[in-house]
Amino acid sequence: MKTSTLRIFSIASVAVLLSSCGSEEPAMPELSFEEALQEQLIQAKSGDVITIPAGVHEITRSLSLNVSGVTIAGAGIDTSILSFKNQVQGAEGLLISANDFVIRDLAIEDTIGDAIKINESTNVQVLRVRTEWTNGPLSTNGAYGIYPVQSTNVLIDEAVAIGASDAGIYVGQSSQIIVRNSRAEYNVAGIEIENSTFADVHDNVATNNTGGILVFDLPNLPVQGGRNTRVYNNQIFANNTGNFAPEGNIVAGVPAGTGLMIMANDNIEVFENNFEDNNSANVLIVSYLINEIPITDPNYDPFPEAIYLHNNQYTGGGESPDSEPLALLQAATGQPLPDIIWDGMLSEGKTAAEALCFSEAADTSFVSLDASNGFAAPSFDAAAHDCALPRLSEISMSLSSQ
Amino acid sequence: MTDLRLRSVVLSACLLLLVACTESPPVYHDTERPLRLSDWQLFAVDTNELIPSESSVVFRPNNPLFTDYAHKLRTLWIPAGLQAEIVNDEISYPVGTVLSKTFYYPRASSTTLTKVADSGLQKIDLSENQLIETRLLVRKTDGWDAFGYVWNDEQTEAFLRIAGASKQVSLLAQGGTQTTDFTYFVPNENQCAACHTTVHPDGDMHPLGAVFGQLNVDVGTGIASPLEQMVQRGWLSDEQVFPRSESWQDPSASLDDRALAYLNMQCGHCHNPEGAADTSGLILDSSQTLAVNRGVCKPPVAAGGGAGDLLYAIVPGQPEESILLYRMRSDKPDEMMPELGRSLIHSEGVDLIGRWIAEMPGAC
Repeated sequence: MKTSTLRIFSIASVAVLLSSCGSEEPAMPELSFEEALQEQLIQAKSGDVITIPAGVHEITRSLSLNVSGVTIAGAGIDTSILSFKNQVQGAEGLLISANDFVIRDLAIEDTIGDAIKINESTNVQVLRVRTEWTNGPLSTNGAYGIYPVQSTNVLIDEAVAIGASDAGIYVGQSSQIIVRNSRAEYNVAGIEIENSTFADVHDNVATNNTGGILVFDLPNLPVQGGRNTRVYNNQIFANNTGNFAPEGNIVAGVPAGTGLMIMANDNIEVFENNFEDNNSANVLIVSYLINEIPITDPNYDPFPEAIYLHNNQYTGGGESPDSEPLALLQAATGQPLPDIIWDGMLSEGKTAAEALCFSEAADTSFVSLDASNGFAAPSFDAAAHDCALPRLSEISMSLSSQ
Repeated sequence: MTDLRLRSVVLSACLLLLVACTESPPVYHDTERPLRLSDWQLFAVDTNELIPSESSVVFRPNNPLFTDYAHKLRTLWIPAGLQAEIVNDEISYPVGTVLSKTFYYPRASSTTLTKVADSGLQKIDLSENQLIETRLLVRKTDGWDAFGYVWNDEQTEAFLRIAGASKQVSLLAQGGTQTTDFTYFVPNENQCAACHTTVHPDGDMHPLGAVFGQLNVDVGTGIASPLEQMVQRGWLSDEQVFPRSESWQDPSASLDDRALAYLNMQCGHCHNPEGAADTSGLILDSSQTLAVNRGVCKPPVAAGGGAGDLLYAIVPGQPEESILLYRMRSDKPDEMMPELGRSLIHSEGVDLIGRWIAEMPGAC
């Protein structure tokens, strides 16, 4: 009796020590869909295709990819859905920092911040991807839908972006960009090209945004000098949704009812677009000075230059402008505002023709707002802008298909 | 007679195991990625204590990062016979170096943990503390690699969680009655890199705490600082003049120095001229001379709701009007800064930066 007691005691003490050394094997934890997907993204190798099966997959934390040469592929823009409705961590849905990246055939819904942010990547393809906030245009929606920044060779094709509280498709501080065949709806800015160079924005539909398409250049950023963008063959109509951007952001200053807005960018060619029923202005061209924010950046040029518009169609629009100076002008004239509106601010020594040229149908109307003189003497005379500029080159990029 | 022999066999087996538990030095794993923390042999996990290997230096940096009031036990180990070098005035660790950081909270009860200042324990009494996670930075042949291990409920082992993990925490301030309930997030490996890759995207990960300025801690007379301990162990030569980084907690430093030290540590790993957040044009690593680049009267760029309907990052004299403070004071994932590493608001940091902005001269 005594013997066996002792023995049990001794064995027990050995067992305690064994477990305290970790020799016993405590059970490994199980992984959820979300954790397994994130593990796949971390452990991916170049050439991998990570598939998102059909269905709605709930994701609660930001997903991220840092490995180059990886494709994320769903089964369809409306069938493979990553839903972030209950997101609890991370400022974006999917954060990419990887070259030779393809994402296709899926949707990212209701992220708490940006839907897809692609930071400092080269050769990026976003194909048949939808980013959407499903409760409609709300200021609590995330800022950007599809958001490549400081990237090179960016192709966004057949994408759909809905409900962003800043821009649905936003390409910032990037170069060599194509945004085409895409649809942007119910965002503050439908499609925005900002502080970027060499972009083609074509064959897109931008409607029901606050502003349809924006081409901006802003100060105090590491990449600026936005220029060389072509905006053509787009359907830009009825962008009359009230501005729901949080104040402080630059797009909060975009008047509801803006079709195309160009701010401080140079060498922009706008042609063969169809502008319709944008109730502040079908086309609005302004300097950064219009924001009345002091400029502290000595290297920044706030004036738009070499803007060339030709062969666009204008129907309706300018009937209920969402901007004090525009509304005053409309009240004074008793007419809808003209098709093309320029703030009239010129860099010292530049001529009106160096800022803006257009070759449009004879019935296309125009106003220069005389903004630098407190909108004192708006001019409807377009003669100074009756000129043409050299056509810009097409953007070409060779991207491998996956 | 038989009993006695059995007894002595068992006893010596116990002794052997004890020796094995406490004396084995850490192990460097070059290619494999161990699923269990114990495979690194960094700690002896006694039933009552987590004890760092005697082969490691336990350290606390001058200017620690805020992580939801978690306490941190940090260790540094360099394999026997190897030495760190000084490259570009910074410590360059040899292949095989293992840095560890164990996150834990003192327990208030069986269900609640305590919010109290980190007392800098050298080992962790498991009857009084709850282990959450242990993160490793390991110097491999091709650079630093990050590992995140999450402790099991029994506190007997921590498992590799590549995709991170989350834990519900109920935190009770010392002397308080109301608990703060929140989700504590263990970062995934990409999130480790988000802070430790300060040159984005092509730079390598590197340590933020185990660097010269951070290790040169004034621990009081007669006690060796982590750097001095490294010299004593032969890991560093003593011919170097060691710089010391400012600490936001140093009461003898000026408000300006403390605020800049705070921003540098909490924000500068991303908000530096080559960091992931340079896209914002807001640079908080003390490298900028132009006020606007440091945030003074700087409009937001891509902040979205994070701008809080405010116009500038910093409005001198107006903390309530400053986006920087708004984002520090937010706990919403899409608004708060830093984006990672916290679920709670760092009140002490908010106080410091709030006072700093309030006393800043000028206007926008």
